[in-house]
Amino acid sequence: MSLDTQKSPQWWKKKDVKQTFIFWLIFTPLLGYISSTIQIRSIGAPASETMAGVINLIGLFTWVAAPVAALVGAMCLTTLLSKRHYGDNPPPEAENEIRNSPRTNAIWITVSSVLCLFALVTGLVVLQKDAEAITDSAAMDINVTGQQWAWNYDYPNGARTEVLYLPVNKPVVFHITSVDVKHSFWVVQMGIKMDANPGYVTETAVTPNKIGVFDIRCAELCGLLHAYMQNKVHVVSQADYDAWVSNRAKMEAAA
Amino acid sequence: MTTLTNRPTSAHKKALIEHLNIFTALALGAISAFVVWRLALQFLPQDAETSPFFNREDKITLLSMIAWFVGFMTGIGALIAPFRWVTGKDLSHEENMFYAGKDMGVKRYFRYTTDHKVVGIQYLVMTMFIFFIGGTLAMLIRTNLGHPEGGWIHPQAYNSIVGTHGIIMIVATIIMVTGPFGNFIMPIMIGARDMAFPRLNALSFWLIVAAAVPLLWGQFLGGISTGWTAYNPLASQAPLGMDGYIMFICIFAISTMVAGANITTTVIRMRAKGMTWNRTPIFIYGTVASVGLALPAFPVFFLSQIMSGMDRALGTGFYDAAHGGSGWLYENLFWIMGHPEVYVILIPAVAALMEMAPVFSRNPLFSFNVAVLGIAGISGLSVLVWAHHMYMAGWAPLLNAPFMLTTELISIPTGMLFLVLVGTLWRGRLWITVPLASIFALLWNFMIGGITGIYLSDVPADAFLHGSMYVTAHFHYTLMGAGLTGAIASLVYWFPKMTGRMLDKKLSWISFWMVQIGFNVAFIGMFIVGLAGQPRRVEGYSAIFSRGNLITTIGAYVIMAGMLILLHAVVSSWRNGVKAPMNPWQAKTLEWSVAYPIPLENFDVLPIVSSDAYGYGKAKS
Amino acid sequence: MSVETHAHHEHPDVVGSRNRLGVILILVADIAFALSMLFVYFYLRMQNVNDMWLPAATEETPAILPLSSSSGWTVTAIMAIGLLAHFYGLKGVREKNQTQLNLGGLVAFILSVVGLSYQFNTIATAPFTFGSGAYTSCFYLITIMNFVHIALTVFISLGNWNRTRLGLYKADHWHVDIVNVWWIWMTVSSLLGAFALSFT
Repeated sequence: MSLDTQKSPQWWKKKDVKQTFIFWLIFTPLLGYISSTIQIRSIGAPASETMAGVINLIGLFTWVAAPVAALVGAMCLTTLLSKRHYGDNPPPEAENEIRNSPRTNAIWITVSSVLCLFALVTGLVVLQKDAEAITDSAAMDINVTGQQWAWNYDYPNGARTEVLYLPVNKPVVFHITSVDVKHSFWVVQMGIKMDANPGYVTETAVTPNKIGVFDIRCAELCGLLHAYMQNKVHVVSQADYDAWVSNRAKMEAAA
Repeated sequence: MTTLTNRPTSAHKKALIEHLNIFTALALGAISAFVVWRLALQFLPQDAETSPFFNREDKITLLSMIAWFVGFMTGIGALIAPFRWVTGKDLSHEENMFYAGKDMGVKRYFRYTTDHKVVGIQYLVMTMFIFFIGGTLAMLIRTNLGHPEGGWIHPQAYNSIVGTHGIIMIVATIIMVTGPFGNFIMPIMIGARDMAFPRLNALSFWLIVAAAVPLLWGQFLGGISTGWTAYNPLASQAPLGMDGYIMFICIFAISTMVAGANITTTVIRMRAKGMTWNRTPIFIYGTVASVGLALPAFPVFFLSQIMSGMDRALGTGFYDAAHGGSGWLYENLFWIMGHPEVYVILIPAVAALMEMAPVFSRNPLFSFNVAVLGIAGISGLSVLVWAHHMYMAGWAPLLNAPFMLTTELISIPTGMLFLVLVGTLWRGRLWITVPLASIFALLWNFMIGGITGIYLSDVPADAFLHGSMYVTAHFHYTLMGAGLTGAIASLVYWFPKMTGRMLDKKLSWISFWMVQIGFNVAFIGMFIVGLAGQPRRVEGYSAIFSRGNLITTIGAYVIMAGMLILLHAVVSSWRNGVKAPMNPWQAKTLEWSVAYPIPLENFDVLPIVSSDAYGYGKAKS
Repeated sequence: MSVETHAHHEHPDVVGSRNRLGVILILVADIAFALSMLFVYFYLRMQNVNDMWLPAATEETPAILPLSSSSGWTVTAIMAIGLLAHFYGLKGVREKNQTQLNLGGLVAFILSVVGLSYQFNTIATAPFTFGSGAYTSCFYLITIMNFVHIALTVFISLGNWNRTRLGLYKADHWHVDIVNVWWIWMTVSSLLGAFALSFT
């Protein structure tokens, strides 16, 4: 039996490692592109900075996650492409000696911790901004009351309607409550949501930055007609808003 | 061993133990429920003018259901042992053998049998039954959602079906691995003769049967009006079917607690000689972690439901704002249980696949310590994350950030489990079987489920995603794509040991592909409509969501076909499948060293263990 | 639970220790339940939603006043003395004194019955209803759950005493040890209830 005089190649030169690396290089952009595109296309156009931030975050997290998913996928594919055994009897045992690899463990755990930290920090930054928006003293206050199965809005000038009108580019803080069960006030394209709870008032804030008509949907099962507890928010110019809201207030006073 | 007769020698209770079975239990339960119902109707005072929501009817329903429960458990014989204890007439050895089902043939499956192998089979059949009902409800939901206007099912019935589907599936997924395999396989795998508390074993099973009836009965009482989370105060105004949900959970919680104490004690105290913690199979760790989490978590759910019942029947003010109650109290109690619970579901399934990975790659398990650390890390952190389900509740905005931290931290131990699985398969000799394919399916599904979980864990993103179908898709990917895949793999893997036959290969492959493909089609469609703005738990939706919903519905039908094929495979293979050899997979854990039919006490001589079960290839330990 | 399902006899210490672990694990569940009840009490008290923790007087109803927690402390004291009695019995059997076990068990049983009637009386004579706000809801929750605990204790102490009387603890007495563990927790939980109720 002749002796093998060559040293075993370094780990990164091994065939299956090189193969995995190639797959990883292909899968990362593929997965990143496909999953971010599908998700972002599904969401539709944002109607506030907040929503634009959510879309960016989804895109960012997807691209950061892509190499991780791609690595798992690449290793799986390499493994599947190597010796596969079929039939009713087990294959002979592998020639692997690896029971553990402290270096692999350390790298894996370190990288996942770094990614976790990254996700946390990006989340905290945006969260801080959202928290400040709620205490913005220049914001307009609107009271939102949820009930089975409709939303009502109280405007600063005393008007009260089932229709939500907002002036564009002006920050607004919603004060939300419910008179019966839990509902959830979701202004879909603006990316804000806050539950309406009986016995409490909760807050959320947003600055609409696009003129148009957008969706408000109840996002917490609240009984029989939960699916229909929806209406629209109309974002208009400041002038149009002023006209509309003073008109509503006059109608209230006359009634 | 001398042949023991199965007639107990204690003359006083001889007839009684012998006559009790599921039929006496059902009869006694039904009669008790009926009698109490009539008595309550007769004697309960009318409601005072001021009480809301018909307290008296809730009292009648709850009393009647409690009577069912007491009658059923009495009729199955659960009270015999405590009664004997108090009176000092302990069960004799012959009576205990009778209880264990010795020489009783197929009748032992219909009785309060203490043999863990019988309990394991009972759990397997019960789990399949529960999945069947939950799956049927899912098909009703998806058929209705095949058209934007719905209308195939009345809105009230639809909401009830959604909530009932949810709670049934949650319970089914909780028991799907720990029930059949934690009971049948685990004691043999650790080299024991039975569980630590065989009577509690029987109790934990029959409690589930007792629990299921009120839930099903409640469907005829108007069903429930909430989701599976049974949020109060909506639950207070729900029809009488809500009382069925409450009873279901209360009884199930007791079952979980009992099973938790039993499994944990068995593993801690009854491992074979030489089976140190280092040599204990990873499946055992997964099982113990799961029931160990459930043990302190389910009582909180139990309490939340008792309080819900009190609000409904007695007019208390736990959750009713008009009486000083708080919906946020309910949410906290519920999710303190509800989050650990998803790991109760997931961990055994992943641990089972980690047990299978060495077998089907002929490689040692990669980094046993990291596997244990991953399981421990997930379990430990899982009790600290609950309020990520409440980011949008408004209850404590300052706490959102800490909960975001703990939630995102869970990705680290979760990643460890991926490392162990991929590391085990790496450079292995892959044996292409359904269990092996299930490992790849788990990696795919859990990757999607896990990453979408990270989006949801981010508070600002959750402000958009919470309460939408995105959440529903996420948890189906983790609980079903990962969890159920692991459970089905466990069934294929351990079927030969539990039934003596191989599960039909062709049918199980067809089922595997149909379920996995149908599943991914269905739930990718669901992510899309969630992102587009469809809320969850709606029986009709805006036309813009039509295409995504149709895709999901089609995917659901494919899943259904795949699951029915699996059911057919199980039934036909059980009856006349290919007889299995003692160790068809040439695996190294102890259960594969006993031949079917497994003797009552598992081992003639208890094994002594000198290594772990992962000595494949050159890396013998 | 003293006869196992198989013919291979294990040493009573092994069996006893295993059963003890099982009971402790079940108690973990019960402890979680009790701690959650404390959470309920203090959370609702802090929230005071709509000022209905202790509703003020209305036209139809008088103001709801909290009860003194002395009844909670009293029931705890009764069960604590019962614990001492049972422990006295346990010490006796450890020193091979069956009479002491018998006496301690009997006194403990009697005290548990006393505790049960006292707790029942507290519940039945409370000067408010279930619907009188959040405090009264919590009051009933705590007292009724304590009643359930004590009822279980009546059953357990009856069995303990009866089995002593029949001489079943002459060879080994791990059952008595375990009853002790139960009694300790049951007394502590009563104490926790009284503690909570003292914050009105």
